[in-house]
Amino acid sequence: MTTAPTAELATAATRSDGLVIDLHHVAKTYRGRIRALCGIDMQVRRSEVFGLLGPNGAGKSTLVKILMTVIRPTECRGTMLGEPIGHKPTLARVGYLPEHHRFPPYLTGAQVVDFYGALAGAPRAHMRRRTGELLELVGMKDWARKKVGSYSKGMRQRVGIAQALVNSPDVVLLDEPTDGVDPVGRRDIREIVQRLRSEGRTVFINSHLLSELEMVCDRVAILVQGRVVQQGTIDELTADKRRYEIELAAEPEAAATYFQRALPEAIRHGEHAVLPPPAGEEGATAAPPTHSPMARRVGYHGQLATGEWLEIDHATLRIGSTEPATIQPIIDALRERGAVIRSIRQHRPSLEDLFMQAVTDPNTGETLKPGADRARKERGR
Amino acid sequence: MMLRQTAALFVDAYRELNSRKLFWITLVLSGLVVASFAAVGIDKQGLTILWFRLDFIPLNSDILPPSLLYKTMFLNLGLGIWLTWIAAILALITTAGMIPDLIAGGSVEMMLSKPISRVRLFLTKYAAGLLFVTLQVGVFSVASFGVIGIRGGEWEPALLLAIPLVVAFFSFLFCVCVLLGLLTRSTIASLLLTLLFWFFIFLLNATDAALVQWRSMAEAQRDALVRQVAQAEDNTRQLLITERRSLGEELPEDYHATEEEIAGVNPFLKGLRDKRDSAEKTATQAAKWSGIIFAAKTVVPKTGETVALLERTLVSMAELDALMSGQDKPKRTTVNEQTAEVSVSEYDVSIRATEILRDRSVAWILGTSFAFEAVVLALSCFIFARRDF
Repeated sequence: MTTAPTAELATAATRSDGLVIDLHHVAKTYRGRIRALCGIDMQVRRSEVFGLLGPNGAGKSTLVKILMTVIRPTECRGTMLGEPIGHKPTLARVGYLPEHHRFPPYLTGAQVVDFYGALAGAPRAHMRRRTGELLELVGMKDWARKKVGSYSKGMRQRVGIAQALVNSPDVVLLDEPTDGVDPVGRRDIREIVQRLRSEGRTVFINSHLLSELEMVCDRVAILVQGRVVQQGTIDELTADKRRYEIELAAEPEAAATYFQRALPEAIRHGEHAVLPPPAGEEGATAAPPTHSPMARRVGYHGQLATGEWLEIDHATLRIGSTEPATIQPIIDALRERGAVIRSIRQHRPSLEDLFMQAVTDPNTGETLKPGADRARKERGR
Repeated sequence: MMLRQTAALFVDAYRELNSRKLFWITLVLSGLVVASFAAVGIDKQGLTILWFRLDFIPLNSDILPPSLLYKTMFLNLGLGIWLTWIAAILALITTAGMIPDLIAGGSVEMMLSKPISRVRLFLTKYAAGLLFVTLQVGVFSVASFGVIGIRGGEWEPALLLAIPLVVAFFSFLFCVCVLLGLLTRSTIASLLLTLLFWFFIFLLNATDAALVQWRSMAEAQRDALVRQVAQAEDNTRQLLITERRSLGEELPEDYHATEEEIAGVNPFLKGLRDKRDSAEKTATQAAKWSGIIFAAKTVVPKTGETVALLERTLVSMAELDALMSGQDKPKRTTVNEQTAEVSVSEYDVSIRATEILRDRSVAWILGTSFAFEAVVLALSCFIFARRDF
């Protein structure tokens, strides 16, 4: 009876090597029916900036609150900084900025940092110097003696970041850190995050501002309806969707002819496919091929002799490769046949593309509704 | 680290009080109450307020020594009305928001995410919540101590017992307020429900006081009647023997007249006995009801009695006796033998009532009240520790 848990702990410790947060099957069910989290597995490595993204109600804040012992998980196997989740003393090494935080309005900025520093167990000796440094770091030095009640939202956010760093934490969890912050403030926060990473600290950011995350995160996880649907570096997650796009300055019909002549082998063996309508023409329905194999609204899938996929959409040719060498012969072939190239660009899906793909139901093509996984549980009954 | 966290929570509680106008208003009012004590004076000629003499109040330092005057004022006005009534309500208004504020979204995450256990956080916040009353009663008692020393000529350190007693009194209400704050998450709801609970205790106390008064009166009547009946029987018996002996009848030394004989001689005795029996029934009834309320009070906090403990310490039974003897009123309950009418002495009843109340042990008063507080706090801690915020 006693050997199993010991063995499990030992395994957990091994697994936790190099991992600051190592979660296995974290679940939270409210009132027995609303499943906010349905078994999260997530690993955050040392000295990385990890972004957790997801639509409203996906469970991002619930997960962070479980890590910070604000919410008790229904089920949780995992560690933070090598200690089990829920281990209070570990929190002395963790900094946290909650979403919609509220500081006592009667405290000044400096007192807020001092107060939460004291609660976090930061030693008194270096607190005074540290408070000054942090307020300067977040650009609030001139406001240090003013009451928090008189601060704007962005200023409270800056002080919030200062208090999250007061105990020199090994890991910092920031829940929507740029919420209500102006563009200058966002850049400042980004710089602070990068500085924390360079100091060897781990930063866990929870946000739905995808462009912000894209700029700072090493790795991301996408949470949808209480489940991690994707996890990894942005490069890893976008690897199979990166491509070159060659656009011709021609009508689709004429462009199709150029492509067919330039790449006769690939196009002969390819297949017609219905592609979604181009951007800006929402509602336009895809029509089946009629008089031409590459008519308007009709896509074409094929494969190059070297193995890369290709796709024709109107006057654009997409090639599934990021290697410049791959497209050179294609450019030559097109140019030889007199085609005028309007643009050639390397396309890498943005975090937003990844996100939209994650929150789109592949069967219906509709985006998933916000909120927890209520229906699924009910169906499961 | 533990000490540092506790200190930080207390400093935060002080800063919060400091930021509230009501705290300072209460403190200023406290100062005014103490100043008004100091303005009252008593000498052989009578009472004075500042330089005005109050000739219409028949009191002087012979009837009421200065120290007793100030102590009575401190107990009745300072403690009885100001601290445990008005200031307590102001304290509740000020501190009722503490738990709803603590558990409000955005604030609770900041506190719970720190390396401090929920139970310790909750209990420290609770203790810090008592800071308002501690500071108020502290300032008030120390100032009163000075006034009684300077104006009354008696330095009475026991007066400072008011600090722990009033804090204990307030904590009995505050623990309920905290539990309600946790359950309702609303300052106004917890405040109103606490006041309702206080009103319930007040009703229970008022019922208790009325029943104790009734019981004292019934017992005073019963005792007077028992005494009167015994005396009447004795007198009648003596009269009967003397009369029969004077008629030349030989009666043994240990002769005991029968009931019929006595009743035949004293026509009032039957009425007296009936009245005594009914008084005994009433006294038993009063003792029974008083006992039921006493039992009910065992499970609720004794707010009134806790504060009254100070009166026990400050004013001895002998002093109270002396104070009441100064008044020109009958001291014993008497019975008119012929009409069987009882004239109840207020003094007798009030001494009996005071004795009944003072017979309630400190252990019962404080022990059961603290037990109530412990149960309410344990329940609050349980809820606070298990809830998801």
